[in-house]
Amino acid sequence: MTSLVWAGGFPCSKHKRCNGTERDARVMVWDQLPLPSRIRSALQRTHLKSVREVLSLPAVDVQRLTGLAQPEVHQLLTVAAAVCRRHAPLTVLQLQRGECRRCESGLRLSVSCPVLDGLLRGGLPVGGITELSGPSGAGKTQLALQISLSVQYPVEHGGLGAGALYICTEDSFPIRRLQQMISEQAILRSEVPPSVISGLHFSDHVYIEHAADLDSLQVCLSRRAPVLLAAGLVRLIVVDSVAALFRSEFQTEDWLERNKQLLTFSTMLHQLSQEFTTPVLCINQVMDVLKDDDSLGPLSSSVTPALGLAWANQVMMRLMMLRHQTTVSRGDQSSTLRRLEVVFAPHLARSKRDVGVWREGVRGVPVLE
Amino acid sequence: SAIISLHRNKLGERGLHLLQRQRGEAVTALELLQREKECGSITTFSSQLDRALKGGLPVGKVTEICGAPGVGKTQLCLQLSVDVQVPLSFGGLEGQVIFMDTEGSFVLQRVGDVAAAVVRHFSLVAEDGEQKDAMQTFDMESILSNIFLVRCHDYVELLAELHLLPDFLRDQPRVRLLVIDSVAFPFRQQLDDLSLRTRLLQGLAQQLVSIATRHNIAVVITNQMTTRLQDSQSHLVPALGEIWGHASTTRILLQWEGSRQVAAIVKSPCCMDTAVQYHITSEGFRDVNQPENSDQPEIPLTERRSL
Repeated sequence: MTSLVWAGGFPCSKHKRCNGTERDARVMVWDQLPLPSRIRSALQRTHLKSVREVLSLPAVDVQRLTGLAQPEVHQLLTVAAAVCRRHAPLTVLQLQRGECRRCESGLRLSVSCPVLDGLLRGGLPVGGITELSGPSGAGKTQLALQISLSVQYPVEHGGLGAGALYICTEDSFPIRRLQQMISEQAILRSEVPPSVISGLHFSDHVYIEHAADLDSLQVCLSRRAPVLLAAGLVRLIVVDSVAALFRSEFQTEDWLERNKQLLTFSTMLHQLSQEFTTPVLCINQVMDVLKDDDSLGPLSSSVTPALGLAWANQVMMRLMMLRHQTTVSRGDQSSTLRRLEVVFAPHLARSKRDVGVWREGVRGVPVLE
Repeated sequence: SAIISLHRNKLGERGLHLLQRQRGEAVTALELLQREKECGSITTFSSQLDRALKGGLPVGKVTEICGAPGVGKTQLCLQLSVDVQVPLSFGGLEGQVIFMDTEGSFVLQRVGDVAAAVVRHFSLVAEDGEQKDAMQTFDMESILSNIFLVRCHDYVELLAELHLLPDFLRDQPRVRLLVIDSVAFPFRQQLDDLSLRTRLLQGLAQQLVSIATRHNIAVVITNQMTTRLQDSQSHLVPALGEIWGHASTTRILLQWEGSRQVAAIVKSPCCMDTAVQYHITSEGFRDVNQPENSDQPEIPLTERRSL
């Protein structure tokens, strides 16, 4: 397989879902722009190579570099902006009617449980980072494995018709548990026709990567992930867990450096998520909450997600899974009760559901009226 | 001033303002005051916050909303995007909105919730014929058709959209609100050169003020919080630095106090530093003492506009 290296940007025009008129605004020869020759020759005398470079400078810098008058700079910036723009503003009504295939369409990735899908109003959003935090043993990896299978179902059964990229940063991948869940999919997803389930070769479509340090994580996200996503093989990225890498590699004094690395990492995830309309699920550890620290909201427990405000600012949907003392039984199985809570999300209320972890997977306990 | 009254008759009050502004003519302080009153404001649907802001978010000015993740910044922006469309007969601005989303937090489902609740509320309080007529056209479809959504994936796209905004606004004169949610997110990614960032933000701030005044639009921007170490204690402060603090006329800080959510007005030329409690319901941004059942709706106080 050819290894393609993207340097900070992803060629979107190769993507299947683009509409045909998308232009690659990253490199543009000045002659192709509808500008008077005076402006074009002024641009050619500078070191600027693309419309993006022109737009990423303050207008006064552009004026100084080109020696053009202010109205000409304004004209240049307007033309450059029109090239850079992907499409004109749409109304929300047009979006709702599906008139823009690349934009927010309300598509959700089901988590293979109707109770939990109800909590999430459909499932994971396909854009942005979803974080799942909780103490060890709460069942976060269980749910992540389940979602890695759920994504493979066709869209009409709540999936996205593609596989998952599962990046492990701490323990080795729980392959036996995955195999067990695969064998019980017919029980978990009893509403799906058995022919559909047997037609899906689940284990073939979970791509497992190990990233023991930040450098290998960077390589994975900048090389491997775009290839899998662009080929349509994968439409879910799981990072299990983010905390492991960022907590161990930095001493407490280095928190500025750590935040910088966190930002680089989350920027890469965001770019991948947006470019390929792919949900990203990051598993996080928790730490004890400091006594008077209510900056991130009221907590129903004594723990808070790790990595602080810098990471929290990058997360669109924050979920937390907590373990409880009681047990719940179903048939011949019993499970320690868990609770999955929505801490924040732009479209969800702060609510929770009781959850059990069974042989066939993670299932919410139906809410009794 | 005979000429002024001639213009006033022909162009109307607003036209006169634009003409004078373009010509750079001097105006008296009294005229400025009158204009400000006429510019109007957008209700937040929290009567306490509206009262603290002397009516609501001011049109023609830049307002910044800061807060930690999950506290309700996007929720307030979504609420404002619906509230700006309230018909004139109810004291609203009947305007359109451009929503620039840089984080991907604009979710259709949620806009639908907020819009439906606002329509329900005004259907219940509609009194006279004029208001009932207005409700014929103030429904979910029309609300969604008056929100223009722009998704910006990085700061270059955001800057590009702002360059193209004046032309768009000339074609769409009914826009009364511009939301950028958030400015912080794209400017804190990929921009390691802090001095470049500061200069870009300064240019951005000037552009926003110019758009607000020239096109008579309320500009609302959201900002993240960051930790700053001071005297070996960490404080939560708005992101993007000290200089960015001068960009907005009014700054509203949304924060948690224990289990309560509080909106604090920390910078404003007209209002004292006040703090009001709010919460986010399934219907949107609301006061806390609002009765839950919609049989007795708490009406945000807005005066009927004399047409």
